Amino acid sequence: MENALHPRPVLTARAAGLVGCRNCGRVHARGTPHCARCGSRLSSREDGSLQMVWAWLIAGLIAYIPANIYPMLLTKSLGHHAESTIVGGVFDLVDHGSYGIAAIVFTASIIIPVGKFFAIAYLAWIVGRPGRTRGHRHTRLYEVVEFIGRWSMIDVFVVAILSALVQLDFAATINPGIAAVSFALSVAFTMLSALSFDPRLIWDAEEAPQT
Amino acid sequence: MTEHSPAEMEIEPPRRSFWRNLSVVWLVPVIAVVVSLGIAWQSYADRGVLVQLEFQNATGIAPGETVVKFREVTVGTVETVGFTADLARVIIGARIDKAVAASLPPDALFWVVRPQLSARGVSGLSTVLSGVYIDAAFTPVAGSSAKSFKGLEEAPLVRPGRQGTRITLRAKNGNQISPGAPVLYRGVEVGQLEAPRLAPSGDGVIVNAFIASPHDARLTTATRFWDLSGFAVSIGASGLKLDVGNLAALVSGGIAFDTIFVGGQPIGEDTVFDLFPEESAARESVFNSVGANAVRLSVEFTESVNGLSSGAAVMYRGLRVGEVVAIGAEASATPAGRSVVLRATIAVDPGAIGLSANMPADETLNFIDGLVADGLRAQLATTSIFSAKLVIELNPVTDAPPARLIRRPGDDPLMPSVESDLPNFTATAEGVLERVNALPIEEVMAQAISLMASIEDIAREEGTRRAPDALVKLLDETRGLIGKDDTQALPGEIRQAVAELRGVVADLRAAGTVDRLASAIASADKVAGDLAAASGDFPQLVTGLRDLAAKVNALPAEDLVASATQVLDSARALIGTDEARALPPALTGALNEVQAAVAEYRASGATARLTEALVSANQAAADVSAASADFPALVDQLSAVATKVDALPAEDLVVAATKVLESADALIGTEEARALPPALTAALGEVQAALKELREGGAVANTNAALASARNAADAVAKATEALPDITARIERLVSQAGTLVDAYGARSDFNAQTLAVLREVSAAARSVAQLARTIERNPNSLLIGR
Repeated sequence: MENALHPRPVLTARAAGLVGCRNCGRVHARGTPHCARCGSRLSSREDGSLQMVWAWLIAGLIAYIPANIYPMLLTKSLGHHAESTIVGGVFDLVDHGSYGIAAIVFTASIIIPVGKFFAIAYLAWIVGRPGRTRGHRHTRLYEVVEFIGRWSMIDVFVVAILSALVQLDFAATINPGIAAVSFALSVAFTMLSALSFDPRLIWDAEEAPQT
Repeated sequence: MTEHSPAEMEIEPPRRSFWRNLSVVWLVPVIAVVVSLGIAWQSYADRGVLVQLEFQNATGIAPGETVVKFREVTVGTVETVGFTADLARVIIGARIDKAVAASLPPDALFWVVRPQLSARGVSGLSTVLSGVYIDAAFTPVAGSSAKSFKGLEEAPLVRPGRQGTRITLRAKNGNQISPGAPVLYRGVEVGQLEAPRLAPSGDGVIVNAFIASPHDARLTTATRFWDLSGFAVSIGASGLKLDVGNLAALVSGGIAFDTIFVGGQPIGEDTVFDLFPEESAARESVFNSVGANAVRLSVEFTESVNGLSSGAAVMYRGLRVGEVVAIGAEASATPAGRSVVLRATIAVDPGAIGLSANMPADETLNFIDGLVADGLRAQLATTSIFSAKLVIELNPVTDAPPARLIRRPGDDPLMPSVESDLPNFTATAEGVLERVNALPIEEVMAQAISLMASIEDIAREEGTRRAPDALVKLLDETRGLIGKDDTQALPGEIRQAVAELRGVVADLRAAGTVDRLASAIASADKVAGDLAAASGDFPQLVTGLRDLAAKVNALPAEDLVASATQVLDSARALIGTDEARALPPALTGALNEVQAAVAEYRASGATARLTEALVSANQAAADVSAASADFPALVDQLSAVATKVDALPAEDLVVAATKVLESADALIGTEEARALPPALTAALGEVQAALKELREGGAVANTNAALASARNAADAVAKATEALPDITARIERLVSQAGTLVDAYGARSDFNAQTLAVLREVSAAARSVAQLARTIERNPNSLLIGR
């Protein structure tokens, strides 16, 4: 089936002796050290890309643990003290019947980060394993991950805005918890991880049989 | 074109070592891990110690939210809320700061602070918004590691570490005592009460109190506590007294204390004090410092001890020397049989009667025994005239029968008692009050006023003013009558008659009549003496008569006076007539006849008969004398009757009498009445003629016979008088019956009405007499002839 879908091998830039600038997109002959247009360094494949991906990814995962364990918001309302974690907040919202908002928070704070972890890990794992790649599909996946990653910060934004606005002393006060920082770090790390990934690696497997 | 060129040399760069190949970025997760682990370890290391708090329930406690505070600083948080194994109680797991937990002693107190509203104010208000919290109180002990505590249901009265003294109070009941009620010293709150609880014996209430540090130094054995709760109103000889505690004490109860006397011993922890119901009782309690060294005595009473209660005072001449400890009844066997005596047990403090406070009981009893020998007796007495409370007084009784303190083994010595005069006093006072109450002051006043008004009316009456004039005229007329020759001739005639009588007397004397007469007089004298004795009762009679006079006085006498005046006028007019003036000669003639008759009489030896008659009379007098012995009783009865009569309203009678007089007046005033004297004169003339005929017709002999009959009659009277005592008795009965009768006929009775009717009939009879007089005038002979 696979062979049936991909009857002919893909010609990669490297196989064609070319190298593209990742910055401006100009194609140079292989071996050109610097881009003639923008001057950025050219390399056919980023060295250590996967290492960096994995490193950022692990850091993001580590940061994600306290982001879920520790409270995100510290709410004090009329002396009543409340701490809510991300999941706890979702459950609270569901309890109060705000299913829409609960879904948004759940998506932005749980599904997307976790999905990113899996997506990046999957991409990093699949690269270099011949016969398994679907070049186009993986590239699309990568683009989605990179695009959507920034929206994970919505939680952090909410917390930041609430903390800035709701400072009414006794009546109500909202402060960011440890989880907010952790979550922000986690998102940042995963974004870096996604950025570190060199999507050209996806195609290496396609050309492998030729090599 | 490059196909046949040698393959481009694959230049493999020397394989970099693993470490060289490692990206710097790997530092980031490493650092993240390190930081995370660091944070985790720190939070674990900083985590507090979990302690178990056991509560009855977990009202308001929320895991993760409820905090534990010590001195109002948060030192922990509740983590879990669970149950004991048997679900009987709640176990709260609280995470306490390590530093604090390290010095938690096993006796640390935990309790839940909730909002509480009481008369003393609001506490725990902050918990309304923030939710309850668990408060902790303990004295930190370094190195302690207790992990399980029993929580209190309520805030403790005394927090550990607070300086002060804890005491125990004994009260009759816990009505007015509420937990946390203040303990006041001169109005300043110096401590608090805990919750009252029943004494183990069930006959009282025990409550712990805590007196804070600087003030607990005031507590000595001389301190007395009393209840401040509510109002205290007392009415006594000193007047109305109202005690009101402060508002908090009023609502939630409170107690106050004071050191009543100097010289108390300092107290230790958990000293027991009595809680008195009121301040006065607390202060008085000092005087019955019974228990220490008081001697107990029994007193038996035969009268009612109603009003005597346990705790009542025992007074010695007005000084409190002890109190009644108990009252009871006891059946005792006496020679007359079993009887119940009321017994009061009293405690007498030797210190109060001037002995040494520490004197042995035996010596105290000896001393009291000496007092008893000198006449000291127990007696019930009232405390005041308004109160029914009784006290026992120990009073010296001068004329008491000798007695001693009766000492009985196994029982209190018996002190002799005397009957009190309580009931007499009460009865007397009541009697006096009743009498005063029954006085008819209003009626007396009304009668006095009406009497004065009547007197005033009489004095003002014209008839009263005219009466003297009429009298003067009457006197003038009389003088005119006397001045006439015929009248002046009368003495001569009378003198002759007297001479004749003297002759008769002489005869009588000759016949020894005088002795009889003397004895008769003696009898009469005796009668007089008896009467005099009887008159001893007169004062009463006089009093009754005086009352009657007063009543009569009150009667409307104007009419009477007017009528009397008219009668006098009429009489004067009658005397003024010629016929009246013609009377004296006729009289003179009649006297002459009489004189002649007497002369005849004397001649016929009538004196002897007379003497016999006198003897009979004498005997009769003696009998009367004997009968008169019963007079005093009769007089009494009469007096009673007079009193009764006195009570009768006689106004109507007087009015009727007045009418009678008026009728009489009218009678006299008629022509017929004026015509009477000539008729009488004529009649006398006839009489004179008749006498003459009689004398000539041997009337004297008839007279003798008549005198004999008279003597027989006198004898019969004498016999009859022998029955006089009986008659007297009957009269007495009659009088008493009359008394009851009069009694029965009160004001406005039928009797009065009938009396009035009788008087009216008398009035009519007088009119008939007037008609009769007219008839006689027309035919004088009918008088003698009998037709």
